[in-house]
Amino acid sequence: MSEGGHILKATRVTKQFGGLTAVKDVDFELPKGGICSIIGPNGAGKTTFFNCITGFYKPEAGALIFDGISLVECRPDQITTLGVARTFQNIRLFAGMTALENILVGEHARLRAGVAGAILSLPKAKAEEKRAWDRANDLLDFVGLGGKGDVLARNLPYGDQRRLEIGRALASNPKLLLLDEPTAGMNPRETEDLMLFIQRLRAEQGLTVLLIEHDMKVVMGISDRVTVLDYGIKIAEGTPLEIQSNPKVIEAYLGSNQEGAA
Amino acid sequence: MTVRSSLRAGLSVGLIAILMVLIGITQLSGQLVRGWFGLPSATPGAWLILLLMAGWAGSRAYKQAKATSWGAALAAGAVPGAAAGLLLGALMWGIGSLLANGTDLRQWLAQLSPANVELLTLGLPPLASALVILAALTAAGAAGAALSFASERGQWGAAWAARRQGLGAKVTSVPAIEKFLARPNARQIVLIAGLALLLLLPLGVGQYWNYIIGTIGIYVILGLGLNIIVGMAGLLNLGYGAFFAIGAYTVAILTAPEPHNIGMSYWLALPIAVVVAAIAGILLGIPVLRMRGDYLAIVTLGFAEIIRILLRSDVMTGFTGGPRGIRSVGGPELLGIDLNNETFFTYFILVGIVLAAFVIYRLQNSRVGRAWMAIREDEDVAEAMGVNILTYKLLALAIGVGFAGFGGAIFASRNRFTGPEDFTLQVSINVLCLVIIGGMGSIPGVLMGALVLKGLPEILRQLDDYRMLAFGALLVVMMIVRPEGLWPSARQKNELRVAEEELTAGPGTEVVEA
Repeated sequence: MSEGGHILKATRVTKQFGGLTAVKDVDFELPKGGICSIIGPNGAGKTTFFNCITGFYKPEAGALIFDGISLVECRPDQITTLGVARTFQNIRLFAGMTALENILVGEHARLRAGVAGAILSLPKAKAEEKRAWDRANDLLDFVGLGGKGDVLARNLPYGDQRRLEIGRALASNPKLLLLDEPTAGMNPRETEDLMLFIQRLRAEQGLTVLLIEHDMKVVMGISDRVTVLDYGIKIAEGTPLEIQSNPKVIEAYLGSNQEGAA
Repeated sequence: MTVRSSLRAGLSVGLIAILMVLIGITQLSGQLVRGWFGLPSATPGAWLILLLMAGWAGSRAYKQAKATSWGAALAAGAVPGAAAGLLLGALMWGIGSLLANGTDLRQWLAQLSPANVELLTLGLPPLASALVILAALTAAGAAGAALSFASERGQWGAAWAARRQGLGAKVTSVPAIEKFLARPNARQIVLIAGLALLLLLPLGVGQYWNYIIGTIGIYVILGLGLNIIVGMAGLLNLGYGAFFAIGAYTVAILTAPEPHNIGMSYWLALPIAVVVAAIAGILLGIPVLRMRGDYLAIVTLGFAEIIRILLRSDVMTGFTGGPRGIRSVGGPELLGIDLNNETFFTYFILVGIVLAAFVIYRLQNSRVGRAWMAIREDEDVAEAMGVNILTYKLLALAIGVGFAGFGGAIFASRNRFTGPEDFTLQVSINVLCLVIIGGMGSIPGVLMGALVLKGLPEILRQLDDYRMLAFGALLVVMMIVRPEGLWPSARQKNELRVAEEELTAGPGTEVVEA
């Protein structure tokens, strides 16, 4: 499509917090239908970069083009409506709402019903609501939470919460899914499941997936391309194999500080 | 264990009974029953309510004890009945003795006139009357247990249950009702309808009670509105009274002869008041809603004070009547009939409550309500889910505040007067309190909260000075005993219940999961 088959194109994105430059001049291209990972030591600016894409932060400089539209001027909710959905590093479900309601909120961007439709229970709003519930139940099944729709999110086990968060992100029918450390805190079996799940997402729904991940088995196992950030600067990019042998990457991870090797 | 809990139930029933006697609810019930059935005296009605309570406690105790024989059931029921009887008996003994000594208790509690006391003592000497009460309540408790026992075990109960089932089947064969009953909140709606009906009954009790019911009703409307803002969208608004004032003043200015002599019809002024309040909410909201939590609370609090002081100041005297307020506010009339009387307003307010509850119920279970809840739970994430935060916050504020305008419009015209001192900070705090006491996000909770917070002080007129004390004590006790509110929403109850299950079953499942 636009941008030569790239769904997301970042050019010289820079984000500063006071004197600290969290992301500096990062160029990044995400091919449509790809599974890509961003890795880097703690504090490398990975999540900041995510937050720039999703509109939580406004980059000081640079351009972010998603599907031909500039994201820099957009609010987070507008970006979601355009087709970017995300999960959070530390799970952020609506804890006091049920699993089903979480998914329904995820569908918000796709739905249209307003105050009048809801109060008067207009046929259009009612039909939409019915479809939304059906879709939410389907999604619950899809992420393996079938039958747990009435459980409050906070009462779900950890692994289920992670999955629910992905389900909620999927509910907005995104074209691009951003997963911020999806396997954090998971055991090897759950991690394995999640890798299969992500691959299924691409195969069945044609999603483009961008991951932040520390688990190198995951990164090397499912990524088409890997981008490495260190101190806000992109230091390497390539296939998993190229990255594994890249001396700059090895230095960033195993450098003098012995920092954050995974 | 069960004896202990049924004792405790009995003691609380006893305490409630004492409260009811002291504030005159037993006497009121006596008069009501006398009026309905044309009885010669108020005594049966006064006793009825006490006996019913003891019976209920007995039936509950029986269910907890899971008694399997008549003897056990009777014994289980007698325990709470006796406990309640002991408390109430002791009180009546004391009161009877004091009265016998010629003390005039009315100087402390107006309800304790000799005639009222006699309703319960039956003219017997103090100790004898106490024993009668003890015996009666014990018997009522046992009777309550026996009734439950019979209805569960006996043939009579089986026949009744079968009939009820048959009746239920017949009723539910109507598709509309069937559909209604299938809803998750069907029970709540039925309860609200029941409560509304209950509120209609006292219309026979005259102007004073109508006025009180109306006041409670207005606060229910206010509470329902604030519930949208605080309970659903999670925006702590301490300046709700300002919009109540805006509604009241809008109607007053548009209908009263002074200061502008516009003379608009009440039916036209009412919707205008709602819209003006909503617009004021949006105007305040646009700059303010970018703030969160405490900041929002303080800004709204300040706004309410500014409105009140403006209304009172000389600057506005030409426009709003200044400190003197506005007199002769117009009231509703229909086809030339003046409807400006307490009874009509009570009905009108009840209709308003039902309407408000309906609107909120529908919104609650829609895309809009879910967006509000999402904002309450986590603003950032809600935004990441595509919810336009500012729009939805404004929407919650505008709708919630519209209810305040509606309440204010009724308030001003019912009193035929409105002045700045009607809208002190106390109003905002009261409404917030009743939402919290009733249970955040719960429609019946608001009803309960208003009954307790506005009803009790009205009934306790003589204790008016202690009203704040009672408020404070009630709030503290509430937060300790029932943090989720008097009548919490199903969600909150569910939350607590599941949390408890987690606590008991948690570690095991954790291990499996990990």
